[in-house]
Amino acid sequence: MDKEQFEIQAMEYLSGAMTDERKLDFEKFIGEHPNFKIELQELQDTLEMVKTMDAPEPSAKMDTVFFSSLSEEIGRQKAKQIDIGFLRYLWPVQKSQWILGLVVLCLGLAIGYLLNDQKGPEPIEVVTQDDETESMRQKLVLTLLEQPSANQRLQGVSEANKFEEADEIVIRALLQTLNNDSNVNVRLAAIESLTNYVDRPEVRQGLVQSIPNQESPILQITLANLMVALQEKASVEPFKELLKEKKLDTTVKKKLQNSIESII
Amino acid sequence: MHDLTDKALMLKVKSGDLDKLGLLYERHKKRLFGFFYNLGNNPSISEDLVQNVFVRMMKYRGSYTGEGSFTAWMFRMARNINYDHHQKASKFRITSGIAPEEVQMEAEGLSDGLEKEEDTRILNRAMAKLSQNEREVLVLSKYRELKFREIGEILGCSEGAAKVRVHRALKELKRTFLELEIV
Repeated sequence: MDKEQFEIQAMEYLSGAMTDERKLDFEKFIGEHPNFKIELQELQDTLEMVKTMDAPEPSAKMDTVFFSSLSEEIGRQKAKQIDIGFLRYLWPVQKSQWILGLVVLCLGLAIGYLLNDQKGPEPIEVVTQDDETESMRQKLVLTLLEQPSANQRLQGVSEANKFEEADEIVIRALLQTLNNDSNVNVRLAAIESLTNYVDRPEVRQGLVQSIPNQESPILQITLANLMVALQEKASVEPFKELLKEKKLDTTVKKKLQNSIESII
Repeated sequence: MHDLTDKALMLKVKSGDLDKLGLLYERHKKRLFGFFYNLGNNPSISEDLVQNVFVRMMKYRGSYTGEGSFTAWMFRMARNINYDHHQKASKFRITSGIAPEEVQMEAEGLSDGLEKEEDTRILNRAMAKLSQNEREVLVLSKYRELKFREIGEILGCSEGAAKVRVHRALKELKRTFLELEIV
Protein backbone atom coordinates (compact mmCIF):
# COMPACT_ATOMS: atom_id res chain seq x y z
CA MET A 1 0.00 0.00 0.00
CA ASP A 2 1.47 3.37 -0.98
CA LYS A 3 1.24 6.55 1.12
CA GLU A 4 -1.77 8.01 -0.72
CA GLN A 5 -3.67 4.74 -0.56
CA PHE A 6 -3.06 4.62 3.17
CA GLU A 7 -4.24 8.23 3.55
CA ILE A 8 -7.50 7.44 1.76
CA GLN A 9 -8.14 4.15 3.50
CA ALA A 10 -7.30 5.53 6.94
CA MET A 11 -9.98 8.22 6.51
CA GLU A 12 -12.49 5.66 5.28
CA TYR A 13 -11.68 3.46 8.27
CA LEU A 14 -12.00 6.30 10.79
CA SER A 15 -15.26 7.56 9.32
CA GLY A 16 -16.75 4.07 9.36
CA ALA A 17 -17.25 4.07 5.61
CA MET A 18 -15.49 0.73 5.00
CA THR A 19 -17.21 -2.55 4.25
CA ASP A 20 -16.54 -5.34 6.77
CA GLU A 21 -14.27 -7.16 4.32
CA ARG A 22 -12.13 -4.09 3.56
CA LYS A 23 -12.05 -3.23 7.24
CA LEU A 24 -10.57 -6.64 8.07
CA ASP A 25 -7.96 -6.27 5.32
CA PHE A 26 -7.05 -2.81 6.56
CA GLU A 27 -6.80 -3.92 10.18
CA LYS A 28 -4.58 -6.81 9.10
CA PHE A 29 -2.33 -4.37 7.21
CA ILE A 30 -2.17 -2.05 10.24
CA GLY A 31 -1.29 -4.98 12.47
CA GLU A 32 1.66 -5.80 10.25
CA HIS A 33 2.92 -2.19 9.98
CA PRO A 34 3.52 -0.57 13.41
CA ASN A 35 4.45 2.81 11.83
CA PHE A 36 1.08 3.07 10.14
CA LYS A 37 -0.60 1.88 13.33
CA ILE A 38 0.89 4.79 15.29
CA GLU A 39 -0.09 7.23 12.54
CA LEU A 40 -3.63 5.89 12.52
CA GLN A 41 -3.92 6.26 16.30
CA GLU A 42 -2.64 9.83 16.13
CA LEU A 43 -5.11 10.61 13.37
CA GLN A 44 -7.96 9.21 15.39
CA ASP A 45 -6.98 11.28 18.45
CA THR A 46 -6.72 14.46 16.39
CA LEU A 47 -10.04 13.79 14.69
CA GLU A 48 -11.68 13.35 18.10
CA MET A 49 -10.11 16.61 19.21
CA VAL A 50 -11.47 18.43 16.14
CA LYS A 51 -14.92 17.08 16.90
CA THR A 52 -14.80 18.69 20.33
CA MET A 53 -14.38 22.15 18.80
CA ASP A 54 -17.17 24.24 20.22
CA ALA A 55 -18.98 27.40 19.24
CA PRO A 56 -21.18 29.69 21.33
CA GLU A 57 -24.89 29.99 20.58
CA PRO A 58 -25.77 32.66 18.04
CA SER A 59 -27.64 35.62 19.55
CA ALA A 60 -31.39 36.30 19.27
CA LYS A 61 -30.48 39.38 17.22
CA MET A 62 -29.46 37.10 14.35
CA ASP A 63 -33.02 35.70 14.21
CA THR A 64 -34.55 39.16 14.39
CA VAL A 65 -32.43 40.45 11.53
CA PHE A 66 -33.09 37.37 9.43
CA PHE A 67 -36.87 37.25 9.88
CA SER A 68 -37.14 41.00 9.42
CA SER A 69 -35.30 40.91 6.07
CA LEU A 70 -37.21 37.79 4.99
CA SER A 71 -40.51 39.49 5.77
CA GLU A 72 -39.43 42.56 3.74
CA GLU A 73 -38.38 40.35 0.84
CA ILE A 74 -41.71 38.48 0.88
CA GLY A 75 -43.54 41.82 0.85
CA ARG A 76 -41.43 43.05 -2.09
CA GLN A 77 -42.01 39.79 -3.93
CA LYS A 78 -45.79 40.00 -3.54
CA ALA A 79 -45.81 43.61 -4.76
CA LYS A 80 -43.71 42.58 -7.77
CA GLN A 81 -46.08 39.71 -8.57
CA ILE A 82 -49.03 42.10 -8.56
CA ASP A 83 -47.15 44.46 -10.93
CA ILE A 84 -46.27 41.63 -13.31
CA GLY A 85 -49.81 40.30 -13.20
CA PHE A 86 -51.15 43.72 -14.08
CA LEU A 87 -48.74 44.15 -17.01
CA ARG A 88 -49.65 40.68 -18.32
CA TYR A 89 -53.26 41.61 -18.13
CA LEU A 90 -52.60 44.68 -20.27
CA TRP A 91 -50.31 42.93 -22.75
CA PRO A 92 -52.88 41.71 -25.32
CA VAL A 93 -54.31 45.22 -25.77
CA GLN A 94 -53.72 46.60 -29.28
CA LYS A 95 -51.70 49.74 -30.04
CA SER A 96 -54.75 51.66 -31.24
CA GLN A 97 -56.58 50.79 -28.06
CA TRP A 98 -53.62 52.09 -26.06
CA ILE A 99 -53.81 55.43 -27.89
CA LEU A 100 -57.56 55.61 -27.45
CA GLY A 101 -57.15 54.77 -23.76
CA LEU A 102 -54.53 57.47 -23.36
CA VAL A 103 -56.76 60.09 -25.04
CA VAL A 104 -59.67 59.12 -22.76
CA LEU A 105 -57.39 59.30 -19.77
CA CYS A 106 -56.15 62.80 -20.68
CA LEU A 107 -59.73 63.91 -21.29
CA GLY A 108 -60.75 62.46 -17.92
CA LEU A 109 -57.89 64.23 -16.20
CA ALA A 110 -58.83 67.55 -17.84
CA ILE A 111 -62.49 67.19 -16.81
CA GLY A 112 -61.45 66.09 -13.36
CA TYR A 113 -59.20 69.15 -13.03
CA LEU A 114 -62.04 71.47 -14.12
CA LEU A 115 -64.54 69.89 -11.80
CA ASN A 116 -62.10 69.71 -8.91
CA ASP A 117 -63.97 70.77 -5.80
CA GLN A 118 -60.78 71.05 -3.71
CA LYS A 119 -61.43 67.72 -2.04
CA GLY A 120 -58.26 65.70 -1.73
CA PRO A 121 -58.27 62.26 -3.26
CA GLU A 122 -59.20 59.41 -0.95
CA PRO A 123 -56.03 57.58 -0.06
CA ILE A 124 -55.92 54.16 -1.60
CA GLU A 125 -53.92 51.61 0.24
CA VAL A 126 -52.64 48.78 -1.79
CA VAL A 127 -52.77 45.71 0.32
CA THR A 128 -50.15 43.29 -0.77
CA GLN A 129 -49.82 41.05 2.19
CA ASP A 130 -51.37 37.67 2.28
CA ASP A 131 -51.49 35.07 5.00
CA GLU A 132 -47.80 34.16 4.65
CA THR A 133 -46.60 37.72 5.10
CA GLU A 134 -48.98 38.18 8.01
CA SER A 135 -47.63 35.05 9.67
CA MET A 136 -44.01 36.18 9.14
CA ARG A 137 -44.91 39.61 10.51
CA GLN A 138 -46.58 38.03 13.52
CA LYS A 139 -43.36 36.10 14.29
CA LEU A 140 -41.33 39.27 13.81
CA VAL A 141 -43.60 41.32 16.10
CA LEU A 142 -43.47 38.72 18.85
CA THR A 143 -39.68 38.39 18.58
CA LEU A 144 -39.12 42.15 18.56
CA LEU A 145 -41.42 42.73 21.55
CA GLU A 146 -39.26 40.37 23.59
CA GLN A 147 -35.97 42.11 22.83
CA PRO A 148 -34.07 43.81 25.64
CA SER A 149 -33.57 46.99 23.60
CA ALA A 150 -36.43 49.52 23.82
CA ASN A 151 -35.73 50.60 20.24
CA GLN A 152 -36.35 47.10 19.00
CA ARG A 153 -39.53 46.80 21.03
CA LEU A 154 -40.69 50.11 19.51
CA GLN A 155 -39.91 48.64 16.10
CA GLY A 156 -42.04 45.64 17.11
CA VAL A 157 -45.02 47.87 17.93
CA SER A 158 -44.57 49.75 14.66
CA GLU A 159 -44.53 46.41 12.79
CA ALA A 160 -47.77 45.53 14.58
CA ASN A 161 -49.33 48.67 13.08
CA LYS A 162 -48.80 47.24 9.61
CA PHE A 163 -51.34 44.45 10.14
CA GLU A 164 -54.53 44.83 8.20
CA GLU A 165 -56.28 42.99 11.03
CA ALA A 166 -54.11 41.87 13.94
CA ASP A 167 -55.00 38.49 15.40
CA GLU A 168 -55.58 37.56 19.02
CA ILE A 169 -51.91 36.66 19.66
CA VAL A 170 -50.65 40.05 18.52
CA ILE A 171 -53.36 41.86 20.49
CA ARG A 172 -52.39 39.88 23.59
CA ALA A 173 -48.70 40.72 23.05
CA LEU A 174 -49.54 44.43 22.68
CA LEU A 175 -51.65 44.42 25.85
CA GLN A 176 -48.86 42.64 27.69
CA THR A 177 -46.42 45.29 26.45
CA LEU A 178 -48.80 48.01 27.65
CA ASN A 179 -48.98 46.47 31.11
CA ASN A 180 -45.44 45.28 31.66
CA ASP A 181 -42.95 47.12 29.44
CA SER A 182 -40.35 49.06 31.39
CA ASN A 183 -40.19 51.87 28.83
CA VAL A 184 -42.85 54.63 28.75
CA ASN A 185 -42.41 55.27 25.02
CA VAL A 186 -42.97 51.61 24.19
CA ARG A 187 -46.10 51.55 26.37
CA LEU A 188 -47.38 54.75 24.67
CA ALA A 189 -46.74 53.22 21.25
CA ALA A 190 -48.65 50.10 22.35
CA ILE A 191 -51.70 52.25 23.29
CA GLU A 192 -51.50 53.98 19.93
CA SER A 193 -51.34 50.65 18.15
CA LEU A 194 -54.26 49.24 20.17
CA THR A 195 -56.46 52.23 19.27
CA ASN A 196 -56.69 50.67 15.78
CA TYR A 197 -58.74 47.86 17.28
CA VAL A 198 -60.95 49.63 19.82
CA ASP A 199 -64.03 48.23 18.14
CA ARG A 200 -63.03 44.83 19.56
CA PRO A 201 -64.38 44.19 23.08
CA GLU A 202 -61.22 42.38 24.28
CA VAL A 203 -59.10 45.42 23.36
CA ARG A 204 -61.41 47.84 25.18
CA GLN A 205 -61.44 45.53 28.17
CA GLY A 206 -57.65 45.18 28.07
CA LEU A 207 -57.22 48.95 27.95
CA VAL A 208 -59.55 49.44 30.92
CA GLN A 209 -57.76 46.74 32.90
CA SER A 210 -54.40 48.37 32.23
CA ILE A 211 -55.46 51.67 33.90
CA PRO A 212 -54.43 50.63 37.45
CA ASN A 213 -51.05 49.36 36.12
CA GLN A 214 -49.96 52.74 34.80
CA GLU A 215 -47.80 54.91 37.00
CA SER A 216 -46.55 57.35 34.40
CA PRO A 217 -48.64 60.59 34.22
CA ILE A 218 -48.39 60.73 30.42
CA LEU A 219 -49.83 57.25 30.12
CA GLN A 220 -52.57 57.98 32.63
CA ILE A 221 -53.59 61.10 30.69
CA THR A 222 -53.42 59.30 27.32
CA LEU A 223 -55.66 56.53 28.64
CA ALA A 224 -58.05 59.08 30.13
CA ASN A 225 -58.33 60.89 26.77
CA LEU A 226 -58.91 57.61 24.99
CA MET A 227 -61.60 56.48 27.42
CA VAL A 228 -63.40 59.83 27.04
CA ALA A 229 -63.25 59.48 23.27
CA LEU A 230 -64.62 55.94 23.54
CA GLN A 231 -67.13 56.94 26.24
CA GLU A 232 -66.10 53.75 28.01
CA LYS A 233 -68.17 53.60 31.19
CA ALA A 234 -66.25 50.61 32.53
CA SER A 235 -63.21 52.86 32.94
CA VAL A 236 -64.86 55.08 35.57
CA GLU A 237 -64.27 52.67 38.42
CA PRO A 238 -60.52 52.12 37.75
CA PHE A 239 -60.08 55.89 37.37
CA LYS A 240 -61.78 56.46 40.72
CA GLU A 241 -59.43 53.90 42.25
CA LEU A 242 -56.49 55.69 40.70
CA LEU A 243 -57.70 59.00 42.20
CA LYS A 244 -57.30 57.50 45.64
CA GLU A 245 -53.54 57.19 45.08
CA LYS A 246 -51.72 59.71 47.25
CA LYS A 247 -48.77 60.05 44.92
CA LEU A 248 -50.94 60.99 41.94
CA ASP A 249 -49.82 64.08 40.04
CA THR A 250 -52.22 67.05 40.57
CA THR A 251 -52.61 67.70 36.83
CA VAL A 252 -53.44 64.06 36.32
CA LYS A 253 -55.89 64.19 39.21
CA LYS A 254 -57.77 67.09 37.60
CA LYS A 255 -57.69 65.41 34.23
CA LEU A 256 -59.12 62.18 35.65
CA GLN A 257 -61.89 64.03 37.49
CA ASN A 258 -62.84 65.85 34.27
CA SER A 259 -62.70 62.60 32.34
CA ILE A 260 -64.97 60.80 34.80
CA GLU A 261 -67.48 63.65 34.56
CA SER A 262 -67.37 63.57 30.76
CA ILE A 263 -67.91 59.82 30.65
CA ILE A 264 -70.77 59.81 33.15
CA MET B 1 -41.92 13.69 4.84
CA HIS B 2 -40.53 14.24 1.37
CA ASP B 3 -41.96 17.74 1.39
CA LEU B 4 -39.81 18.59 4.38
CA THR B 5 -36.38 17.63 3.02
CA ASP B 6 -33.93 20.50 2.56
CA LYS B 7 -33.98 19.93 -1.16
CA ALA B 8 -37.79 20.06 -1.37
CA LEU B 9 -37.87 23.20 0.77
CA MET B 10 -35.26 24.93 -1.38
CA LEU B 11 -37.16 24.03 -4.53
CA LYS B 12 -40.24 25.62 -2.97
CA VAL B 13 -38.20 28.74 -2.22
CA LYS B 14 -37.11 28.69 -5.86
CA SER B 15 -40.72 28.56 -7.03
CA GLY B 16 -41.54 31.66 -4.96
CA ASP B 17 -42.55 30.21 -1.59
CA LEU B 18 -40.01 32.36 0.26
CA ASP B 19 -41.52 31.55 3.63
CA LYS B 20 -39.80 28.15 3.46
CA LEU B 21 -36.41 29.83 3.71
CA GLY B 22 -37.31 30.45 7.35
CA LEU B 23 -37.45 26.69 7.93
CA LEU B 24 -34.10 26.15 6.25
CA TYR B 25 -32.66 28.96 8.37
CA GLU B 26 -33.93 27.38 11.58
CA ARG B 27 -32.47 24.04 10.52
CA HIS B 28 -28.99 25.21 9.55
CA LYS B 29 -28.29 28.47 11.39
CA LYS B 30 -26.35 26.88 14.26
CA ARG B 31 -24.20 24.71 12.02
CA LEU B 32 -23.38 27.63 9.73
CA PHE B 33 -22.63 29.86 12.71
CA GLY B 34 -20.28 27.18 14.08
CA PHE B 35 -18.63 26.83 10.66
CA PHE B 36 -17.80 30.54 10.46
CA TYR B 37 -16.85 30.75 14.12
CA ASN B 38 -14.51 27.76 13.94
CA LEU B 39 -12.89 29.28 10.89
CA GLY B 40 -11.70 32.11 13.15
CA ASN B 41 -14.41 34.74 12.85
CA ASN B 42 -15.72 36.48 15.94
CA PRO B 43 -19.36 35.81 16.97
CA SER B 44 -20.72 39.07 15.55
CA ILE B 45 -19.04 38.59 12.16
CA SER B 46 -20.09 34.92 12.14
CA GLU B 47 -23.71 36.03 12.55
CA ASP B 48 -23.37 38.51 9.68
CA LEU B 49 -21.86 35.82 7.49
CA VAL B 50 -24.76 33.45 8.29
CA GLN B 51 -27.15 36.20 7.14
CA ASN B 52 -25.12 36.58 3.96
CA VAL B 53 -25.50 32.87 3.19
CA PHE B 54 -29.29 33.19 3.27
CA VAL B 55 -29.26 36.46 1.34
CA ARG B 56 -27.22 34.70 -1.33
CA MET B 57 -29.55 31.68 -1.28
CA MET B 58 -32.44 34.04 -1.88
CA LYS B 59 -30.57 35.90 -4.62
CA TYR B 60 -29.40 32.82 -6.48
CA ARG B 61 -32.41 30.60 -5.77
CA GLY B 62 -33.10 30.54 -9.50
CA SER B 63 -29.86 28.68 -10.12
CA TYR B 64 -30.69 25.91 -7.62
CA THR B 65 -31.34 22.73 -9.56
CA GLY B 66 -31.96 20.29 -6.73
CA GLU B 67 -29.14 18.09 -8.01
CA GLY B 68 -26.53 16.92 -5.51
CA SER B 69 -26.66 17.53 -1.81
CA PHE B 70 -28.31 20.68 -0.45
CA THR B 71 -25.85 20.79 2.45
CA ALA B 72 -22.93 20.70 0.02
CA TRP B 73 -24.52 23.54 -2.00
CA MET B 74 -25.04 25.56 1.19
CA PHE B 75 -21.52 25.04 2.51
CA ARG B 76 -20.01 25.84 -0.90
CA MET B 77 -21.83 29.16 -0.67
CA ALA B 78 -20.70 29.63 2.95
CA ARG B 79 -17.11 28.92 1.95
CA ASN B 80 -17.24 31.52 -0.83
CA ILE B 81 -18.78 34.06 1.53
CA ASN B 82 -16.03 33.49 4.08
CA TYR B 83 -13.41 33.84 1.35
CA ASP B 84 -14.99 37.08 0.04
CA HIS B 85 -15.20 38.48 3.56
CA HIS B 86 -11.53 37.86 4.24
CA GLN B 87 -10.52 39.25 0.86
CA LYS B 88 -12.45 42.43 1.64
CA ALA B 89 -11.16 42.53 5.21
CA SER B 90 -7.53 42.26 4.09
CA LYS B 91 -8.12 44.88 1.37
CA PHE B 92 -9.56 47.39 3.83
CA ARG B 93 -7.45 46.12 6.71
CA ILE B 94 -10.51 45.33 8.80
CA THR B 95 -9.71 43.27 11.82
CA SER B 96 -12.02 40.40 12.45
CA GLY B 97 -12.09 41.22 16.17
CA ILE B 98 -11.82 38.45 18.66
CA ALA B 99 -10.98 35.14 17.11
CA PRO B 100 -12.03 31.90 18.81
CA GLU B 101 -8.59 31.34 20.25
CA GLU B 102 -8.92 34.58 22.18
CA VAL B 103 -12.41 33.88 23.45
CA GLN B 104 -12.48 32.89 27.08
CA MET B 105 -14.61 29.78 27.20
CA GLU B 106 -16.68 29.25 30.31
CA ALA B 107 -14.93 26.91 32.73
CA GLU B 108 -16.82 23.65 32.88
CA GLY B 109 -15.37 22.24 36.05
CA LEU B 110 -12.39 22.88 38.25
CA SER B 111 -9.18 20.94 37.49
CA ASP B 112 -10.76 18.89 34.73
CA GLY B 113 -12.28 22.01 33.30
CA LEU B 114 -8.98 23.89 33.41
CA GLU B 115 -7.14 21.13 31.56
CA LYS B 116 -9.86 20.95 28.95
CA GLU B 117 -9.86 24.69 28.65
CA GLU B 118 -6.11 24.71 28.08
CA ASP B 119 -6.45 22.03 25.36
CA THR B 120 -9.22 24.00 23.70
CA ARG B 121 -7.08 27.14 23.78
CA ILE B 122 -4.12 25.34 22.19
CA LEU B 123 -6.42 23.67 19.65
CA ASN B 124 -7.88 27.02 18.64
CA ARG B 125 -4.41 28.52 18.32
CA ALA B 126 -3.25 25.53 16.27
CA MET B 127 -6.30 25.87 14.00
CA ALA B 128 -5.52 29.55 13.53
CA LYS B 129 -2.00 28.66 12.39
CA LEU B 130 -3.22 26.35 9.64
CA SER B 131 -3.85 27.51 6.10
CA GLN B 132 -7.38 28.58 5.18
CA ASN B 133 -7.87 25.40 3.10
CA GLU B 134 -6.72 23.13 5.93
CA ARG B 135 -8.99 24.87 8.43
CA GLU B 136 -11.98 24.56 6.12
CA VAL B 137 -11.49 20.91 5.43
CA LEU B 138 -11.14 20.14 9.15
CA VAL B 139 -14.22 22.13 10.17
CA LEU B 140 -16.23 20.35 7.47
CA SER B 141 -14.93 16.92 8.52
CA LYS B 142 -16.26 17.55 12.02
CA TYR B 143 -19.86 17.34 10.79
CA ARG B 144 -20.79 13.68 10.95
CA GLU B 145 -23.60 13.96 8.44
CA LEU B 146 -21.26 15.28 5.75
CA LYS B 147 -19.89 12.44 3.61
CA PHE B 148 -16.49 12.71 1.94
CA ARG B 149 -18.33 12.84 -1.39
CA GLU B 150 -20.09 15.99 -0.16
CA ILE B 151 -16.90 17.49 1.23
CA GLY B 152 -15.41 16.89 -2.22
CA GLU B 153 -18.43 18.63 -3.77
CA ILE B 154 -17.93 21.62 -1.48
CA LEU B 155 -14.20 21.85 -2.14
CA GLY B 156 -14.53 21.16 -5.85
CA CYS B 157 -12.44 17.99 -5.82
CA SER B 158 -12.95 14.23 -6.00
CA GLU B 159 -14.00 12.11 -3.02
CA GLY B 160 -10.52 10.55 -2.87
CA ALA B 161 -8.83 13.95 -2.93
CA ALA B 162 -11.14 15.10 -0.10
CA LYS B 163 -10.01 12.14 2.04
CA VAL B 164 -6.36 12.90 1.34
CA ARG B 165 -6.88 16.57 2.21
CA VAL B 166 -8.59 15.78 5.52
CA HIS B 167 -5.86 13.27 6.37
CA ARG B 168 -3.06 15.74 5.66
CA ALA B 169 -4.82 18.60 7.47
CA LEU B 170 -5.24 16.37 10.54
CA LYS B 171 -1.53 15.54 10.50
CA GLU B 172 -0.62 19.20 10.18
CA LEU B 173 -2.97 20.09 13.05
CA LYS B 174 -1.42 17.42 15.25
CA ARG B 175 2.08 18.69 14.45
CA THR B 176 1.14 22.32 15.19
CA PHE B 177 -0.73 21.34 18.35
CA LEU B 178 2.29 19.49 19.72
CA GLU B 179 4.58 22.41 18.86
CA LEU B 180 2.33 24.84 20.77
CA GLU B 181 1.91 22.43 23.67
CA ILE B 182 5.69 22.24 24.17
CA VAL B 183 6.02 26.05 24.08
